This record gives sequence, structure tokens and C-alpha cells, in this order.
Amino acid sequence: MKFYVCIKQVPDVTAPLQIKDGQLLQDSDRMILNAYDASAVEEALVLTEAHGGEVEVVLIGSEKSKETIRKALAMGAHTATHIQTDDTGLDSAVYARILASFFADKEYDYIACGKQAQDTDSGLTGGMLAEYLGIPYATNAVGLTYDNGLLTVKRQGDIGQELIELPSPGLVTCSNDMNEPRIPSLKGIMQSKRKEVTTLSTDDLGVDANALEVKTRILGFEEKPGREPGKKFEGEPEDIARKVATLLDEESGVL
Amino acid sequence: MSTLLTYISVNNGKIKRSSLEVLSKCSQEAEKHGWVSAALVIDEKASDYPGQLTKYGVSKIYLVEGPQFKNHLNAPLLKALSTVMDKVKPKVMAFASTEGSKDILGALAANRDAPALPDMSQFEVTGDGVKGKRPVMAAKIMSNVEAQGETVLISVRSGSYELIESPTEPEVETIDVAVSDDEIRATLKEIITSSGNRIDLSEAEVVVAAGRGVRDEEGRKLISELASLLNAGIGASRALTESGVYDPSLQIGQTGKVVSPQLYIAVGISGAIQHVAGITNSKVIVAINKDPDAPIFDISDYGIVGDLYKVLPPFIEELRKIKN
Ligand SMILES: Cc1cc2nc3c(=O)[nH]c(=O)nc-3n(C[C@H](O)[C@H](O)[C@H](O)COP(=O)(O)OP(=O)(O)OC[C@H]3O[C@@H](n4cnc5c(N)ncnc54)[C@H](O)[C@@H]3O)c2cc1C
Ligand SMILES: Nc1ncnc2c1ncn2[C@@H]1O[C@H](COP(=O)(O)O)[C@@H](O)[C@H]1O
Repeated sequence: MKFYVCIKQVPDVTAPLQIKDGQLLQDSDRMILNAYDASAVEEALVLTEAHGGEVEVVLIGSEKSKETIRKALAMGAHTATHIQTDDTGLDSAVYARILASFFADKEYDYIACGKQAQDTDSGLTGGMLAEYLGIPYATNAVGLTYDNGLLTVKRQGDIGQELIELPSPGLVTCSNDMNEPRIPSLKGIMQSKRKEVTTLSTDDLGVDANALEVKTRILGFEEKPGREPGKKFEGEPEDIARKVATLLDEESGVL
Repeated sequence: MSTLLTYISVNNGKIKRSSLEVLSKCSQEAEKHGWVSAALVIDEKASDYPGQLTKYGVSKIYLVEGPQFKNHLNAPLLKALSTVMDKVKPKVMAFASTEGSKDILGALAANRDAPALPDMSQFEVTGDGVKGKRPVMAAKIMSNVEAQGETVLISVRSGSYELIESPTEPEVETIDVAVSDDEIRATLKEIITSSGNRIDLSEAEVVVAAGRGVRDEEGRKLISELASLLNAGIGASRALTESGVYDPSLQIGQTGKVVSPQLYIAVGISGAIQHVAGITNSKVIVAINKDPDAPIFDISDYGIVGDLYKVLPPFIEELRKIKN
């Protein structure tokens, strides 16, 4: 089985950040593998370990994002393609178009994406890519099983979970509720250095300039109107519990 | 005349409140620009719903009906949406941000070659598109965004807008959409609903959420007791959905659901940014945590520092008195 996993390098959202003149200032060293993509890699590895096959990761990004490719290879992905861009201000639609050009002549059973990028929470790329490729897809997977050439996706829907049979070739987007991604072992890290990484440019893929046009623009960033910390009560549990219950009734009126 | 089209999400025979919030806002925007506010229902029994939509300022309702829309499946829904959009040519197509709309927004945008702005917390229609704000970086900050195009797709976080009543007598039009079997491609085998008829978290007026501090059966009993007293939806942090203690559909936060209740009670939850990402639209937040420095207190209106096993019983008792 050939599994492709699309992975993205994202800033660590837990790192301190600052906004200055509408621009986001953050330590650019603190970049990580998108958590949802790490779950997608993990799941692809588990399935290919059980049923045979290969996992290739594909990443569009700057030179620096090579480190994220290495991370996925150290987890156990077999090969990688790095599509190099200068990476500024691209949106999900542009990433999806570039990925679609990459996949146009590829053979695969399934493509896995993260359900969303952890920094922007867009969650668009997977569905866009499936539509460009004209293949069936399922999103927000919390579990995958593979049997007789058919992937069954357990996805989290609005009411409960839905079991979807996804024929191949197909695309699935993964939630981090699916698994706990493995931490690369020392051996995995050593081996990753010898694994093959193909580097391509958008020109190599024949992506035309039109497809790179960004239609959604970020005008700037601002602080979220924050919630102020309110009243904090310490003391005897009975006293403070009663006090807060009374305030909910009399002060905030939400009961 | 230009049309602003709102997709009405229906689950279990009920219109989702969040799509009425979006409809209310779209009707206001339509009025501002002299445009048409229209609503679209795609459902097995779509014709059941127009009566519930006439309160929110719509001048046109489109219905797509058929057995293939009984349960959510992306391929038939996409076919229906794209057929309707071909006909109506809306300037803006708006969705409430639900798991159902998240499932199709990207593919629909690609199919229509239209820009998409997902999970907005604020938006306004401009002459040639949409601009607004969306939370990013695990909802720590806001990004100001805009998109232009013949059609712009947006989805809106629940709790971003109030319901605004403005009764109308809309025209209702049914649009036929045929979906052949081979267009369905992926098939739905089974729906696994969580046990009991729990309150829909994303709509609940009161939410009681449990975190890792709730460590045993006794703790879960206290949570259930508090929730049933307040007629609340039960939610959970990732710590408890990950370990299987609570159903994954109850997770609140960046991976889980966004809630917007009047009252949110966080019990034994530390307040990690990914959890907080889902709760800041709550009107009043109460936190119960034994660690006085837990970050959840920074965003709580009322913080109770204490052991939840000691705090909850008298808290429940006092609330019961007030309720009676
Ligand atoms: C990409 C990504 C997405 C994520 N999405 C989500 C999400 O959607 N939702 C989510 O919740 N998390 C999410 N997380 C996980 C998040 O980072 C935290 O790990 C998680 O929220 C922690 O849950 P918790 O607060 O219950 O547990 P902890 O952080 O372990 O906190 C437990 C708290 O309980 C208190 N406590 C313990 N015992 C008691 C007691 N007896 N009485 C009172 N208080 C007590 C402790 O003081 C502590 O503050 C995500 C993480 C990532 C990386
Ligand atoms: N630059 C990229 N390179 C490779 N895959 C990407 C890239 N951007 C997005 N993706 C994939 O699309 C998913 C959703 O991204 P987004 O639409 O930005 O939320 C990610 O989890 C990745 O699987």
C-alpha cells in the first residue's frame, strides 16, 4: 500500500508571541511538525506496518522546514518530497493547487492530511486537494482500519461518529484524537539521515503563476479582546462554594 | 440583485442555532447593501423547515430534498451545494462552522474556484467580497482577513452573533438535485451515536466540563449531578477524552468543539490554550481547581480554589436550593 502524508511546518503556538504594528512577531526557531500531521504520519505507519507498503511525506515550505521532514522520516516514513517555496503569505488553496500538481502523475492508495494546521486552524487543504484530484475523501478521522484494499474511516461528526468506507485512491484528513504519535528513537533519527529526500520547485511541477495567486489576504493581526480575570475565592470549601453559587444567582444572573 | 445565501444545518431533525445566528447576521448585511438574504436547507425532509426560518429576515428559501441527504455524506451534499450555487450565484455563501460544514468547505471552494474564509468570529460584506476576523494561533490572537471574488465562502463560529428577529414572508423554491450512485463514491456504513440523548454541546446554554482532576467514578458522578441540576451539556478536556473516560464527541477546544453557553463550569481543568480556544465565547466562566496558579483562573469570572471533591458537594447543594 502506498500512503502519502502531506505535512506542514507550523510555529509552536505555545511559544510567546507579540503583535507590533499589526505584524506577528515570534521566535522563528520554534517551528514544529503540525500535531494533526504527526497523527497522520503515525496512522500511515501503523497501517503500512500491519499491511505492508510505504509511507512518503510531502511538504511545501522553506529551506528551514527540512527539519520537519527529518522529524517525519525519523518517526519512520520511508521517503520524502520537499517542494520548496519561500513560504510567505500562501493560503490553503495555493498549497492544495501545488500538491495537486505534485500528485497528478503519482500512483497511490491513499493520501493523508492533517484535519487542520495548528496555527491557522483553516482545515481547507485536504478537501481542496481531493476535489482537484477528483478522488473521494473523508475528514476529521479519529480512527482508520484497512481491510481487503478498503479503508474504513471513523470520523467525528456533529452528532456522533460516522463509519465511512473510502475506496482507493482516496484522501483522509486526520484528527490528533486518532493516536499518540511516536517519539523518534535514536535509531530512527540515525536512519532518517540516510533516507531519500527529493527536492522540487513549483517550476519543476509546472505550477503556473495563476495557481499561486492568493485569494484570501491577511491584513494584520490584533490582540483578542481578552477576558479579564474575575474574582478568585480561597478558603473553606463550603464557604467559597456557597459564595460563588450565590453570586451566579444574584450578580451574574445566569441561573 | 445580489444574494447572500446561508446554509441551514439540520441535525436530528433540528435546525442548529448557530446557523440561525449566521442567518440573522446575513439578513442584516443584506439589508445594509440592499441585497437579498436567502436560506438553503438540504435535507431528507427539507420542506419541514421553512416555517422556522421566516423569523430571521429571509426573503427567499431554497430547498433540496431527497433520501440521499438523510445523513451527512460529503459527495451528495457537494453536488447539491454546487447545483444551487450555479442557479443562485450568491455573492456570499455562509455556513455555521459545524463538523458537517468543515467537511465540505474546502472541496466546495475548490469546486467553485471561490476563496474561503473558515471559522470567522466576525465578518462584514464589502462591495466585492467579505472581510472580518478569525482567531488563529490556538485562538490566542485575531487575524484580520479579507477575500474578494464572484462568490466568497465563509463559515462562522457558534456564538459569534445573536439571533435577530425580523419576520418576513419568504418565497420558497425547491431545487431538484439528482445524485447517482457512482457520484457518492465514499459510503456511510454506520453512525455511532453517543449513548443517551445528551444535550448538543455546541448549543447548550450551560456546560459543565470535566478535566483530569476528575479522576474517578465518584468525580464523574458529581459532574453528572451538577450537569443534570443545571440542565447542562457535559463536556470534557482532552485529558479525559484521550483516555476514553468521556466520549470523544464531548471534547471542547481546538480539536474539539467550540461552545458558547451562558455559563461554563470548568472542573479540574488547567486551562491549556488549546482548551481555552473553545470556551472564550462563553458569557460567564466558573473554574474549580486546587492549584491557585492554574491558567484557567486568568479567564474565569469566578474562580474557586479548592479540591473539587470537597467543593462540588456544597456547590451542588447550594445551587439546588437556589433552583428550588
Ligand atoms: C494540537 C492540539 C490540540 C489540542 N486540542 C485540545 C482540545 O480540543 N481540548 C482540550 O481540552 N485539550 C486539547 N489539547 C490538549 C491540551 O494542550 C491539554 O493537554 C489538555 O487540555 C489538558 O487537560 P486538563 O486540563 O484536563 O489536564 P491537566 O492539564 O493535567 O490539568 C488538570 C488540572 O486539574 C487540577 N486538579 C487535579 N486534581 C484536582 C482536584 N482534586 N480538585 C481540583 N482540581 C484538581 C490540576 O490542578 C490541574 O490544573 C490539544 C493539544 C494539542 C497539541
Ligand atoms: N505547506 C504544506 N505542505 C504540505 N502539506 C500541507 C501544507 N499546508 C497544509 N498542508 C496539509 O493540509 C492540512 C490542512 O491544512 P490547512 O488547510 O492549512 O489547515 C495540513 O494538516 C497538511 O496535511
